[in-house]
Amino acid sequence: MTTTPDSGAGRRVRVVIVDDHTIFRSGLKADLDHRMDVVGEAGTVEQAIAIIAETRPEVVLLDVHLPGGLGGGGREVIAGSSALLGTTSFLALSVSDAAEDVVSVIRAGARGYVTKTISGKEISDAVIRVADGDAVFSPRLAGFVLDAFGTAPADIADDELDKLSARELEVMRLIARGYSYKEVAKELFISIKTVETHVSAVLRKLQLSSRHELTKWAAERRLL
Amino acid sequence: MTTAVQRPALVRSSDRMIAGVCSGLADHLGWPVKFVRLGMILACFAGGAGVAFYAWLWTMVPTADESAKRNARRPASPIAPAVSLPSAAAAPARASKAYDAGPSPAVGGGPPAAGASAAGVQASGSSNGTGSSAGFGATSADDWWGGSALASWFSFRKIQYGKEILLGAALLLVAAILIARQFGVDVPLGTLIPAAAILGGAAIAWMQLDETRRAGLVDKTKADQAGGWVRLAAGLALVVAGVLVMVSGSGSWEQTWLALLASVAVLGGVALVLLPWGLKFWKDLETERAGRVRETERAEIAAHLHDSVLQTLALIQRRAGSEQDVVRLARAQERELRAWLFSDAAKESGLLADRIKSVAAEVEDSHGQAVEVVTVGDTEMTDRHEALVQAAREAMLNAARHGGGTVSVYLESTAGSTEIFIKDRGPGFDPDAVPEDRLGVKESIIGRMKRHGGSAAITSSSNGTEVRLTLPSANADTGEQRNNDVRNGEAKQ
Repeated sequence: MTTTPDSGAGRRVRVVIVDDHTIFRSGLKADLDHRMDVVGEAGTVEQAIAIIAETRPEVVLLDVHLPGGLGGGGREVIAGSSALLGTTSFLALSVSDAAEDVVSVIRAGARGYVTKTISGKEISDAVIRVADGDAVFSPRLAGFVLDAFGTAPADIADDELDKLSARELEVMRLIARGYSYKEVAKELFISIKTVETHVSAVLRKLQLSSRHELTKWAAERRLL
Repeated sequence: MTTAVQRPALVRSSDRMIAGVCSGLADHLGWPVKFVRLGMILACFAGGAGVAFYAWLWTMVPTADESAKRNARRPASPIAPAVSLPSAAAAPARASKAYDAGPSPAVGGGPPAAGASAAGVQASGSSNGTGSSAGFGATSADDWWGGSALASWFSFRKIQYGKEILLGAALLLVAAILIARQFGVDVPLGTLIPAAAILGGAAIAWMQLDETRRAGLVDKTKADQAGGWVRLAAGLALVVAGVLVMVSGSGSWEQTWLALLASVAVLGGVALVLLPWGLKFWKDLETERAGRVRETERAEIAAHLHDSVLQTLALIQRRAGSEQDVVRLARAQERELRAWLFSDAAKESGLLADRIKSVAAEVEDSHGQAVEVVTVGDTEMTDRHEALVQAAREAMLNAARHGGGTVSVYLESTAGSTEIFIKDRGPGFDPDAVPEDRLGVKESIIGRMKRHGGSAAITSSSNGTEVRLTLPSANADTGEQRNNDVRNGEAKQ
């Protein structure tokens, strides 16, 4: 099921694409470069859970809005594959800007979120990054995070789930400003690996925090 | 399509003495309302003909509100102007869904009352498609729809003709009796008055029923509902009293009282028997109404998609050769659809984030370069913020012009200050090497920010340029501006 000839450069990431639009799936397949193999596709929640359990991919590209199941969309797929969360990473794809969609799928366990307008190169990089266990933040997601956690740094940086540390805030701000991880690293005079660590820490906070704003905020957004 | 309707629609006006019939009639005929009223009063003495005529119009002619509601048309799509770019003309106009009704007897003939109404007809007549649906200006469209109000009203209510003809006939009968009496024919008043009471009461009750059904209870305010109930009760009382007097004939108190008791008992019994049926009927009505609301919503969504997305897709197909046009169309449509889906149309857009987004949209449209806006926090617009927006706009224009690829805009608004970052991925330039006479950067960005107590910094490298605009809160320096109203988690797309 490979889409591009193996150039032999490094390992190949096994990917499953879950999206209900066939046209989008095939477009995405064509966009992914030689570093990854598409081992399966699914268009509904049930199909997705089945194919993920069967193929055990490293990365699942997951549309937030999916038909089938109980109507939970991408979140339901992640919940249904929770046993595999250790080995399989989920990267949420969405056309929706609605914060509750994005945040809910991240909180369900996705490692990142990108918009569907992303370019082929960027999506490939994002897949590799997620496969390496890192988090992928789009500028918009960084904006959501800053909005939810507030822009004031935590007093006690460590061990505080409800606030971001000063450094994490800086990283989030730069990502929101459109900086790539590399540019962030350069700007802050730190290594890319450190940037990735910060982003992963923010992702963890976003997933685990019971910060009042985070839950309430998503609910409120629906009213806007 | 249809012959031109040349008079304002006959509707009951809200400027009214009793039911707005006279002023509505005056508007329609183009006569002074005083004369119409006077004529109506005089006609009342002509054996009550005026009363009959008035009552007939009262029941048959819709109020201005009802008429407007019935003919309410979905507003023209907001995307239409954005989508139908000048270069891509001749979007197929929406086929007008005009009621295919000729001039009704009541509105035919007469000199043109208003040029606007004729213009409206003309506009809706151009179904062959020069220009988009936005061409239907709101005013001309309104006039047109108003013009055919009565015509459509007739066709709309075809099924219910029977009742109205009956009522009209009854009223004519009353008038005839009154006239006959005037000429000396002996009409027993003892029969006439109760009969009139019954008819009047029934008319009032019917009208009420009609109105509630038309407008839907949900639309009515509480006060209106209370008024409705009073009218219904009054109608009922009139009818019952009329029937009693008629049946008992004599008019003796004792008999009337007994009859009243008996009739109330009978009514109670009937109500008891009919209550379940009535409730079921009511429930059916509610279900049907809910269904209709859903249907209306669906129709509105379909209309919106037709006006926006389908038109854009058609344009994209036609302009498939030009990548820039396609991207621009797609992004404009995406933005419009998002705004429609996720934001409240009634929302006041006096906030900074909305302004920045609309400016970004404008730059995106004019240069075909994607401008991504991320906002955190928000603040009320002031004059100083307007300067900030203008500086940001200049920076976005520069980024779109000279940078390549997506322009990233980040707005962060906190209690202390507002910052905007505009980043592009162009080849970059040396800010110090910009010639003195280039006003774009020096004047529009840096100078403007300084004048308003803010600052601008430009960093540029071969990987792109970033403009950073900072505006401290007003109370930090001048103290005369309003405090920044920071809303965390405020509107953001």
